[in-house]
Amino acid sequence: LGATISKILLIEDNQQNALLIKRVLQARKHQVIHTSEGEAGLAKAIEELPDVILIDLGLPDIDGQTLAGLMKRVPELEHVPLVAVTAWPEDTAREMALAYGCDGYISKPINTRTFADQIAAFIHKP
Amino acid sequence: MSGSVNDNRVDLLPASAFSYEELTEAYNHTRVDYMVPMPMNAAKLHEYVECYDIDLDASAVAIDGNEILGLAMLGLRAGRAWMTRLGVIRSKRRHGTGWLLVTHLIEQAVQNKVDWMIIEVIKNNLPAHTLFTKKGFAPTRELLVLRRPPHPPADNPPPAQIQTLGWDGVHYLLKNRTSKPSWIDEPESLLNAGNLSGIYAILPDGSRGWLVYQNTVFQLGRLVIQTEVGDPQCVGRVLLHHLHSKHPVQDTKTENFPLDDPHWPIFREFGYIETFHRIEMTLRLKPGLEPPG
Repeated sequence: LGATISKILLIEDNQQNALLIKRVLQARKHQVIHTSEGEAGLAKAIEELPDVILIDLGLPDIDGQTLAGLMKRVPELEHVPLVAVTAWPEDTAREMALAYGCDGYISKPINTRTFADQIAAFIHKP
Repeated sequence: MSGSVNDNRVDLLPASAFSYEELTEAYNHTRVDYMVPMPMNAAKLHEYVECYDIDLDASAVAIDGNEILGLAMLGLRAGRAWMTRLGVIRSKRRHGTGWLLVTHLIEQAVQNKVDWMIIEVIKNNLPAHTLFTKKGFAPTRELLVLRRPPHPPADNPPPAQIQTLGWDGVHYLLKNRTSKPSWIDEPESLLNAGNLSGIYAILPDGSRGWLVYQNTVFQLGRLVIQTEVGDPQCVGRVLLHHLHSKHPVQDTKTENFPLDDPHWPIFREFGYIETFHRIEMTLRLKPGLEPPG
């Protein structure tokens, strides 16, 4: 992405994971907005209209699949890429991401060397 | 109760000595690396305790000094107990804390004069399965956790007479259910959970059955399906078609659906996905009893 700064919404309840992801993405000059719970994440997504949404499938209030399904029904978010970042086993993660309309998934623990490039691949800037 | 675990003294305190915020933090800490992520917040944990009749006095938190090592919770109902939320933080595992917690909860169940103790363990969680087997628990059946993304059924509804049920109807059906419930879909759990709706279907050939479910803003859940007369797949098709036509934008999650339930093929036909499997295990606490169900 070169010098392009993207706005990334991260919905992740685990503070250590969130910190790591923020550091990796901020090192590439992306703006990262973080929320720990699903309902707040949905509100933030509509308010901020980010370039990509990263969503943990295991959240403490609304679970991640339900949230992903909701986001895909919000007209303003229809074209915002949604990526599941999850500790689910690979097969389950793939199946859930596909079924709930995510554009892709990334398994935890993340690979800090490749994560930013993986996310960049989902961002479609005009 | 206290015990010695690898030369460290571990004390067990009743969970009621901790706030919901403390219990939630401890629980989430034990599940950080769990094979199925299931984090909670304090409100969710409170709801869980109420819904499943968890006795926090009989539940336990393992501590070493000021450090919480793990916890386990005990649900108590007439004649039976349910162990749940058992977890030990990653760095303290394989040192006997889990054993101590399970032993303590079994003692609590005995003191409460229950006949049977029930647990569910995620399939392939071998350390937990081994621990429960060593404590005398025996597997009874395999249960599924199912999801269905929101969308209406694709085809036309099969012909049937459909009746939507109110509270009295739902209550009556749950009390007269013939299939064996797990703890989380026992009538007590469902009635505690609230927001229940019901559908009763009569097919042209006289087959009939019903479906009870929880209806919340974002999600349908806690599905209990039963065929009273006829082919479960024909009756199930009518009930699920009606359910998802009526609620096309809600996500569906249902837990502890028995793998051998005759309606399971129809759930698959309607787009339900297996998220993971649990193994239900029971421990007989009084001699000479047949397993519950």
